[in-house]
Amino acid sequence: MAKIQFAAVNEGQDIPELRVGPIKQMDLVRYAGASGDFNPIHNDTEFAKSAGLPGTIAHGMYIMALMGRLVTDWVQPNQVKYYGVKFKGMSLPGETMVFTGKVKKKKEENGEKLIMVSLTAANDKGEVKVSGDLTVKAE
Amino acid sequence: MAELSKDIVGRKMDPFTFTVERGKVKEFLQAIGEKNPIYWDIAAAKAAGYSDTPIPLTFQTAFTFWGYGDKFWTDIESFGIDTKRLLHMKEEYTYLEPIYPGTTVTCQVEVIDVKVGKMNMVTFKNTYSDGKGKSFIEAEMAIVIRPEGM
Repeated sequence: MAKIQFAAVNEGQDIPELRVGPIKQMDLVRYAGASGDFNPIHNDTEFAKSAGLPGTIAHGMYIMALMGRLVTDWVQPNQVKYYGVKFKGMSLPGETMVFTGKVKKKKEENGEKLIMVSLTAANDKGEVKVSGDLTVKAE
Repeated sequence: MAELSKDIVGRKMDPFTFTVERGKVKEFLQAIGEKNPIYWDIAAAKAAGYSDTPIPLTFQTAFTFWGYGDKFWTDIESFGIDTKRLLHMKEEYTYLEPIYPGTTVTCQVEVIDVKVGKMNMVTFKNTYSDGKGKSFIEAEMAIVIRPEGM
């Protein structure tokens, strides 16, 4: 995979979409083990309900990790200068997540060719769960 | 449990180190369904200009949970944060230097902001460095504590 070229990217351009799901409880168990985040709201239905949630919810960081796949399917990992997300809604087992991104702006700053991208994770009904911002160092 | 207050701004968790093991990275890649060869295949990574397979963009989240362990949750409780009502609100990474398998990363979590109100919010800064002044990643994490009945 080649590095992203500044000249080849246009403002307003969409980056290739990624769909993952439906999310299974087992996916959250695996993510818990891999990440070490064993907060029981993600793996224990009774506990989650006692905490006032509809049931177990996905780790926000699991969704951020999936969105990270969208990012490095498009650019090289070492081209990522900044990646940040805001969690807007809970992602639940059974939901299929759709990850999209759009180039917001291109700029040259301190000798760097930067591409700013807005990212979104929504379920397949279009309900936004996570919004993200990405800054890519282009060639 | 202590009440949440602005007094915890500046409080730090203990520093700790985490050595990135290849197997642990692979477990994470499998869990997130990541199949990009750049993360799996040393030859592919080297051909693309890396010195080894880079870690995926969010793997550092495991440094805290595995490197600091359950003390993370007891520290959070000791800060006056009800873990049962905690929701993650924001996570931000600025990448400065690549991290590869074999790298030992020195980590520390610090409270940098608290907002007490209808919704209580706490912002943390996480530093990931080589322990000698070179920073790999600068991170900020914000959580919100749901009020009772929400």
